[in-house]
Amino acid sequence: MFVKKLRAGPVWPALLLCVSALLSGCLESSSTTVDDQGARVSSFDWDLPESIPLPKEPEDNPMTEAKFQLGRHLFYDRRLSTNGTVSCAGCHQQDKAFSDGVARPFGATGEQHPRNSQPLVNVAWASTVTWGNPSLGTIERQILLPLFGDDPVEHGLNEANSEQVLRSLQADPTYGPLFQAAFPEQNDPLFGDLAWDNVVKALASFVRGLVSFDSKFDRGELSASAQRGERLFNSERLECFHCHAGYNFSDATVDRLTTFNQLMFHNTGLYNVDGMGGYPEPNTGRHEVTGDPDHMGQFRAPTLRNIALTAPYNHDGSVETLEGVIRNYAAGGRVLTTGPNPGDGRMNPFKDGFITSFAISEQEIDDVVAFLESLTDESFITNPRFSNPWNSTGQETP
Amino acid sequence: MIRKTFMLLTGLGMAMPTFGHYIPGDGPVELSASVVATWRSDDIVEQNDYWRIPGALMGGHAWPYERGVAVDEALLGLGARINERTFAVIEVGTHGGGDGHGDSAEVQHAYLGFQCCEEPGPWVLEVGRMSSAFSPSLATHAGDRLTSESPLVNDVFFGRDFHDEGVRLWWHETAGWSAGAEYWRGKAFPANTDGDGVWDVFARHAWSAGPTSITLGGWYYQADAIARADHRYGGGHTHTPVAPPGATAEAFPDTRFTGDVDVYGIHAGLEYRLSTDWVMGLEGEWMHFAMDGTVHDAVGRQARLDADQQGGWLQPSISWRRHTLGLRGEMLTTDNHLTGSAAPVLAEDSGLANASGHDPMRYTAVWRYQWRPDVAFRAEVIQDETLADDELRFAFGVVWQGRLWPQSRIRGHQH
Repeated sequence: MFVKKLRAGPVWPALLLCVSALLSGCLESSSTTVDDQGARVSSFDWDLPESIPLPKEPEDNPMTEAKFQLGRHLFYDRRLSTNGTVSCAGCHQQDKAFSDGVARPFGATGEQHPRNSQPLVNVAWASTVTWGNPSLGTIERQILLPLFGDDPVEHGLNEANSEQVLRSLQADPTYGPLFQAAFPEQNDPLFGDLAWDNVVKALASFVRGLVSFDSKFDRGELSASAQRGERLFNSERLECFHCHAGYNFSDATVDRLTTFNQLMFHNTGLYNVDGMGGYPEPNTGRHEVTGDPDHMGQFRAPTLRNIALTAPYNHDGSVETLEGVIRNYAAGGRVLTTGPNPGDGRMNPFKDGFITSFAISEQEIDDVVAFLESLTDESFITNPRFSNPWNSTGQETP
Repeated sequence: MIRKTFMLLTGLGMAMPTFGHYIPGDGPVELSASVVATWRSDDIVEQNDYWRIPGALMGGHAWPYERGVAVDEALLGLGARINERTFAVIEVGTHGGGDGHGDSAEVQHAYLGFQCCEEPGPWVLEVGRMSSAFSPSLATHAGDRLTSESPLVNDVFFGRDFHDEGVRLWWHETAGWSAGAEYWRGKAFPANTDGDGVWDVFARHAWSAGPTSITLGGWYYQADAIARADHRYGGGHTHTPVAPPGATAEAFPDTRFTGDVDVYGIHAGLEYRLSTDWVMGLEGEWMHFAMDGTVHDAVGRQARLDADQQGGWLQPSISWRRHTLGLRGEMLTTDNHLTGSAAPVLAEDSGLANASGHDPMRYTAVWRYQWRPDVAFRAEVIQDETLADDELRFAFGVVWQGRLWPQSRIRGHQH
């Protein structure tokens, strides 16, 4: 009876066959294809881990090894100052991750800078390249400030002395071949009209090539204390990872994969000089440029890579240790009862939403510091590629 | 008589598609409830892992089924006939989802309906929060399905279930035909609330002659999304999960999708009564899912996405008195193309990457025993090949679907 009934309903097997045929015919093998449009292609050997995306290179100044090497010579050359006393390396020393270890450095003419020297670590990935200027998006534009800026004077170059400085470079036989190799498309890159433009591009290429991704953290060699610190760093309680985010430990990070350049600046409650959120002049951060009251005290979150080498901390070097920085965050801001800028930073109305107080033990502070110390890249501060090239020539550094 | 009752129950409950949508009967108030609890022998993914099928952009409520006993669904429904033409339905329930994900109850249905223009129907207008009517399987509860786990295409393309706020106008089961259109606010995956609205059209025909009953239907659904997240794991404030000692956990990469989604599908159900004791059934649905838009993340990375995905399931079954044996075969294929500098990393982060060309498949063999009119047991063997590593798991469950008020056998009209 069962067989009979089945035969009596021919629609049943027919439909089964039809649906099976339909499904088998429609379903093809899966695949996902990607076209990165050359995002991993560069004429420069960045020597990066596979997980790190290449940084953006300016179309008018693509990276080359020749420009990097020329920039390296210029970076350490004191002749690039009004009186031959200051080179870029004066405030950006390799053993300190290209910072200088002082709160606020002095320029060639003795004028003290209002800001702490920023370490030059993975600057190529920074969305902006100063503490608080949102309009400075390229290293090429930023380099003009220390070279030619007059408020404050750093290198002290100007229209009056720039020709003389250039002549001193032209007189050094080392530079001719370096300039020619760096700018082979130009007939006379050291003596022509583009000489200063070439100096800036070469310096920017060297700074752009200062790459640090070989710390204990990168190698997965964290101590037990550093592992605890990492968990605290990424915890809901401390919230560190929001501003110090991603592979470069800064939310102000761009690379070839990012389409939008998000300007990220934060007020960390370091000051409150007038009870209304004011920061001491002239260090008001992003507010200095935009004039927007809401931008008062906003500064870019620096990368934490090699941070243990770059004390003192914050934009004005006013916090001496990493422990001090953590304690300020734990308090939800800094309280100053003495000195020239007293005030309760905890009550700063422009403070970032993530700067809220949290409880933390001494052991936990040590653990977080241990994690931050694990971000130190020993090979970065000893890499001969980044060192003073004049030493290897037997010449005294000019 | 008893045998006929059980045959009717099993026939209605398994061989033919059922809907979460409901039109109350003539009584003043109907109150019903259901609980589906299932024990499973294994997890789909380990603790602190994320269930993402290679090549798919998942979301919604498609939580991974987990080892141990879980309440797949708990529902409490209230239907009321306000007057001859007007009715209201409210249903509160929990979604299945281990690890506390789906434990919170939510209003799944809250809608008013109006029947026009003859007595009653055939036009029905419904407004409120409700299940969709375009795909039968999408509106089917875990207790109504033969298997405890929802179809793979529902999980991947619609985030397992579909409850949204909207309006539906349809020609309702007249001369075997139902057809209509729905317009949604866009709160249900794969749309999101920031989109421009979601709509669908559907039609189906039910035909019955002698021992054979057939239902055939088709539908088209269109949605858009703006910065749609996978809200199972991301979409908000995310941290790296705290893993136990010796284990590692990674933060969920919170990628988003902005663009258009077009889905269409066909479904069919066949029931053939061999005798008073034997019923054979065949159900199936096939869907085509296309995405055209951009995948992006919080740090400004983005890539163009052009995706064509399709899949379906086929489920033959045979019932003898209170027992039903069934087999469900499912397959999914994904064809994705991402373009842009961030395409490689976003493909990985979003789960769209499928380097090995994996074709997700799943086979479920199920036996269901209708112990009492309101209580059923089921046992399942599931060969799960949706992820790169195959898994064989077992499931045993109990289904209770009770009519709390009134106790009469007259029920409302359930789809």
